[in-house]
Amino acid sequence: MTTTAMTDSEIDRPVRQSITVRASVERAFRVFTAEFDSWWPRSHHIGTSPMTKSIIEGRVGGRCYSEQESGEDCPWGSVLAWDPPHRFVIAWQITPEWKYQPDLAKSSEVEVTFTSVGEKQTRVDLVHSHFSRHGEGGDKMREGVGAPGGWGTLLETYASVVNS
Amino acid sequence: MTYRDNQLDAIGDKTRRAILARLRKGPLPVVEIARGFSMSRPAISKHLAVLKKAKLVTDTPDGNRRLYQLNPEGFESLRAFFDEYWGTALVAFRARIEQSADEDDDT
Repeated sequence: MTTTAMTDSEIDRPVRQSITVRASVERAFRVFTAEFDSWWPRSHHIGTSPMTKSIIEGRVGGRCYSEQESGEDCPWGSVLAWDPPHRFVIAWQITPEWKYQPDLAKSSEVEVTFTSVGEKQTRVDLVHSHFSRHGEGGDKMREGVGAPGGWGTLLETYASVVNS
Repeated sequence: MTYRDNQLDAIGDKTRRAILARLRKGPLPVVEIARGFSMSRPAISKHLAVLKKAKLVTDTPDGNRRLYQLNPEGFESLRAFFDEYWGTALVAFRARIEQSADEDDDT
């Protein structure tokens, strides 16, 4: 087991996922965002009432939220960058307790980019980063990114334990 | 409640995160873990029980006490959560986009 201090970048090493789809960049972007509800897994939901519709509003500052059977909207993010059809960034406003986090400074980020890799072939790269922001306590002294106890710290520290 | 929910709940608590950080340097008995916390040793034991149930720590007997240590396997599955979360979402996205590729392509 290593006890070496970790650098900020190691601690905040993002989760990356990529997939290539048979579609133009324009269509891939549109289906991913404007038609988000047509594919987003119903299990991926933090609300207390079943999800009926999932929406990403396509503009900087746009809301990401789910409509629920109860009639009450369940917010989970907001659009930070909007560059159709190549890229967008969303603040992932979900606490480690799986509740909505209104404070952007305590939210991680999900960046999705769309790259043409052939005729009607688009690679979608998703990067979920800044996990350590979730670990920062509200009323306590601000913890540094490398401070023990942060959510991101845990994820990364123990990944390093496993790999050592 | 599933195993994964247990893990996310387990790290959703500040004290438990601090306990885990403390165990990073190696196995410790409860009395050592409790040192520096303002709460009682039974309260710390309760937190350890939650972490054990979530498979984030394991304990082994050491004479008349128990030593707690991190369970790397548990943490790997915790990290894997996000890989799986986004992996599942992207596969669903591909299924949707390729199911109707010929109908509404705009290129």
